Amino acid sequence: MKVNVDLRLKDIPGQLVAALEPISKYDGNIRGVVHHHDDRVGGRITVNVIFEVRSEQSLDKILSTWKEGEVDIAKIDAFFETYPIQYLLVGSITSKELESITKGLEAMENVASIEIRYTGTANSSSRAALVTGKASKKETLTTLESFFKQRADKHNYMLIRGLD
Amino acid sequence: MKVVIAGFGTVGQGVAEVIGMRRELFQKGFRQKVTIVGAFDSSSLVKNPRGLDPEVLVARKAGTGRVGKRPLDGGAEEFIEEYDFDTLIETTPTNIVDAEPGLTYIRTALNAGKNVVTSNKGPLALKFRELTSTAAKNKVQLRYEASVGGAMPVINLSRELLRGEQIYSLRGILNGTCNFILNRMKDEGLPFEQALREAQEMGIAERDPTYDIDGVDSACKLAILANAIFGRDVTYNDVMRTGIRSITEDAISLASEQHMVVRLIGEINDKRVEVSPRMVPVGHPLAIGGTLNIVQLITDLAGDITVAGRGAGRKETASAVLSDLLALMNEGRGKRR
Ligand SMILES: NC(=O)c1ccc[n+]([C@@H]2O[C@H](COP(=O)([O-])OP(=O)(O)OC[C@H]3O[C@@H](n4cnc5c(N)ncnc54)[C@H](OP(=O)(O)O)[C@@H]3O)[C@@H](O)[C@H]2O)c1
Repeated sequence: MKVNVDLRLKDIPGQLVAALEPISKYDGNIRGVVHHHDDRVGGRITVNVIFEVRSEQSLDKILSTWKEGEVDIAKIDAFFETYPIQYLLVGSITSKELESITKGLEAMENVASIEIRYTGTANSSSRAALVTGKASKKETLTTLESFFKQRADKHNYMLIRGLD
Repeated sequence: MKVVIAGFGTVGQGVAEVIGMRRELFQKGFRQKVTIVGAFDSSSLVKNPRGLDPEVLVARKAGTGRVGKRPLDGGAEEFIEEYDFDTLIETTPTNIVDAEPGLTYIRTALNAGKNVVTSNKGPLALKFRELTSTAAKNKVQLRYEASVGGAMPVINLSRELLRGEQIYSLRGILNGTCNFILNRMKDEGLPFEQALREAQEMGIAERDPTYDIDGVDSACKLAILANAIFGRDVTYNDVMRTGIRSITEDAISLASEQHMVVRLIGEINDKRVEVSPRMVPVGHPLAIGGTLNIVQLITDLAGDITVAGRGAGRKETASAVLSDLLALMNEGRGKRR
């Protein structure tokens, strides 16, 4: 997870080091630190910090350490890095098959979102279905690929992948 | 440099013409002449140790359907072996079953100590290792820029100019006919059959389009690239291959709604050597339309390098053959030692 925070720190030596320390302590990876000396509110300066953490639990620990240490958090954005899922299925794809795909994807870990659009009637031999979505882990893409490949081979339809 | 042209169809004739057009370049750049001392097609042979006029050869082929007056009578092999010349320019039809007649012609020339420049995919897609080691054993060169992507200079670019790079992967569009069909399906909402018929009427697709639309042609080219650029020991038969026959206009329009196009992509990376239809975001270099060929190389120092060019045509393919002839002359290989 990538986190972008604006911290307000007292303008005295040692404050920044103290504020950054919990990030490293909880396995975070600091990507950038920018001081905004001109943005001064109540004797405090604003520092923008961008870092990555492995989990929400680590982020929670960092945030509570800051609260205890009276580090003001002026603004926080946290977002997950995602990997696009793109598969186009062409051929005889039954409604039952679409259902199975949906179920299979819902049961899969780290599939953050999924959307299936399709054309044609249920019994048509030339139906097309486009599966798009996001995965929160890169490894999931490999799992997805074998999932779709197995289904396409078994049910004899064509599989068109996106560019990795 | 004395050359013999094997096969005198579209490419063979284009090569003869281009050799005529570049006389001055050979003379000024290399103080050499490139002389066509022989040519043969499926039924006839012509030779003259003092040189043949390219224009006369092309005119005779156009007028009589034969490049020479003598019958070939199965004498090509002996001719290649015994006749005095430096480089065989091999442009016979691609055959992906047993690579003949090109394979025998190329083998014979290399074993007779002659360089070979070829536009023919078959022998390379099936016997790359054997042929390159035969060339090395005989201390001659085998060059094949024209066999992949016509005028698009991907092989010499990768092997010579990008020699210092680590090339991680490659992907590209290696068949202009498929690209044309897929593009027409998207732009006009045409079903596959109709887009194919249109391509045939325009002379873009062959009457028997199997090689193109089933991905055979792309797979041959990919096998050559995998050997030539990535040092993989693969043949055409090792390339995973899916063609474009079963793609429907519905599928293309679904992709299009999401700002994606469908393209027949060849890909080489550490996981696969594969030709298959893929979805490509609009605006991506590989979303290119028309009949152009395009290849993207992913390298460690230079980053992504993309080359595009005309994948077929008489002069276009001859231009790639010319680049190989010049490379031979540049290395002082114009004359046999
Ligand atoms: N055309 C292109 O734009 C292009 C681009 C890249 C690569 N290539 C490759 O280049 C090669 C030539 O293509 P092309 O378009 O020039 O083909 P083409 O027009 O069909 O010409 C092939 C030539 O080979 C001759 N030939 C056939 N069997 C022969 C034999 N047993 N011995 C000697 N000659 C024989 C034919 O003789 P006849 O004239 O007597 O029939 C003809 O002159 C193919 O391998 C092709 O895949 C072509």
